[in-house]
Amino acid sequence: MSLLQVTNLRKSYGAHISVHDISFDIEKGRCVALLGPNGAGKTTTLRMLAGLLEPTSGMISFEGSRPGAEYRRGLGYVPQSPAFYGWMTGQEYVVFAAKLSGMGAKEATSSALESLIRVGLKDDARRKIGGYSGGMKQRLGLAQALVHRPRLLLLDEPVSALDPIGRREVMELLREIREETTVVFSTHVLHDAEEICDDIILMNHGRIAEQGSLSQLRSQYSLPVIRLRTEKHKEAIQWLESLASKPFVLDSELFGDHAVFNVHDVEKARQTILQEAAQLEIPLLQFEAGSSTLEDLFMKVVGV
Amino acid sequence: MSSTWVLYRKEMLEMARSYKLIWIPVVFIILGIMQPLTIYYLPEILKASGDVPPGLLEGYEIPHAAVVMAQALGQYGTIGMLVLVLGSMNTLAGERYSGTMELILVRPVSPAAIVIAKWTAQLTLLVVALGLGAAGAAYYTEQLIGSVPWGDAIAASGVYGLWLLCVVSATLLFSAFLRPPVAAFLALALMAGLSLGLSLLPTWFDWTPAGLSGLSAGILTAGEGFRAGPYLSASVLIIICLVGAALLTRKNNFPD
Repeated sequence: MSLLQVTNLRKSYGAHISVHDISFDIEKGRCVALLGPNGAGKTTTLRMLAGLLEPTSGMISFEGSRPGAEYRRGLGYVPQSPAFYGWMTGQEYVVFAAKLSGMGAKEATSSALESLIRVGLKDDARRKIGGYSGGMKQRLGLAQALVHRPRLLLLDEPVSALDPIGRREVMELLREIREETTVVFSTHVLHDAEEICDDIILMNHGRIAEQGSLSQLRSQYSLPVIRLRTEKHKEAIQWLESLASKPFVLDSELFGDHAVFNVHDVEKARQTILQEAAQLEIPLLQFEAGSSTLEDLFMKVVGV
Repeated sequence: MSSTWVLYRKEMLEMARSYKLIWIPVVFIILGIMQPLTIYYLPEILKASGDVPPGLLEGYEIPHAAVVMAQALGQYGTIGMLVLVLGSMNTLAGERYSGTMELILVRPVSPAAIVIAKWTAQLTLLVVALGLGAAGAAYYTEQLIGSVPWGDAIAASGVYGLWLLCVVSATLLFSAFLRPPVAAFLALALMAGLSLGLSLLPTWFDWTPAGLSGLSAGILTAGEGFRAGPYLSASVLIIICLVGAALLTRKNNFPD
């Protein structure tokens, strides 16, 4: 059974629609990346899931509960740049967060200590948050989101603002956390998503461009590809255009002297193209046969 | 543990750590004891300032202790009010703009609990500040001028406190959707408008919360008698402010 069901979720601000009727399911125990360029509607979607924004229309159902039911107790949320009270110590804040989620004083204290150790802030737990670095704040954000043992963890761009070392630390933590709880995180970096996720929801302009498990998307989109570049001769460009209508070409993109063909039989395509090129004396500059990756899919969807 | 209580304790801790719980009462104590001191030492002060026409001070009579007490409370209407408003303008707006509110609202906490916790914390501060200030004023009045009717003094302070609470509540409401300085300005302007209206058109404005300062003085000096209007309107104003602040906190969109 799915943990979270989202149906036709929409958020509009006046005439501007920032999330456009998106639907998806999140299975229990999965790690899902909400992938997309800046302005794709990732943060808006996460805020609606976290109950911080009222959806304009659509439904969110948690563990099959009636839509609109209170489910925040089972939710952990870390915003893009979590803000804390600088006058509190890290430990005080996590205890405060645990109590707000309904824990008793004793349970809150022990659970807070546990999650602070977990994110590696044990030694700094008694320091004022005002003196924390960006990476420490991000880890404190994770600690406060984990302290009440949520069933769903929502993270908004958890590593985007961090330096490589901080990024490494947080990614390692996420790798551990995803073993225990369901994680949804947004990112604009495909690499982060590929590193730890099972599923990908690719968003652009407020819509879901593609979704599915990482392995499924990989096999679906790893079509054989042939890239060609010729000199800027009229005949050569005409020849590239003529290739697009060959039977083995599934899809083609032409950029003047440069062409990318998705083919279904790379062997046959290579033979035919090279033979023709030799016959017609086409001034080839570059010929490359390979597989397209998620990166290409991402770029295609994002439209760069 | 109730979330309102958890939030209230956090507010009080913040007030203690930022020394608000100390400096605001200190300001109130200073304001309070200034009145009996200046009244008692007025002849000395005037003499020290030089050319006093002969005979001016002969007619000087120290007013009755109750009157001095009423005047001392009146001191809180300007600087005291300003201090309270400036001290509370950040309560909701600060958390909204810094983003700390976001992390509270994702937890199972209602906006009403947040607003009530903040309001109660401001009320605590007000009670401590006004209580200590009025006690200081009463002590010096008692020592220098004459016996203070303690029961009346406490009642009058309470009534004056209700007027100040209206200001704090209005600040809270405005700070739920405006930037802190704007919230402070609007709250002060609203209260100044009511006070001005009361002094220009007493019959039109005597039912507003601004009438409370006159009623407070009336308890001590047997001037104005009891009128229910100001109490009712003050209660309604405070409730409207709290409900409004809670609704606005719920609807509020976060800055990116």
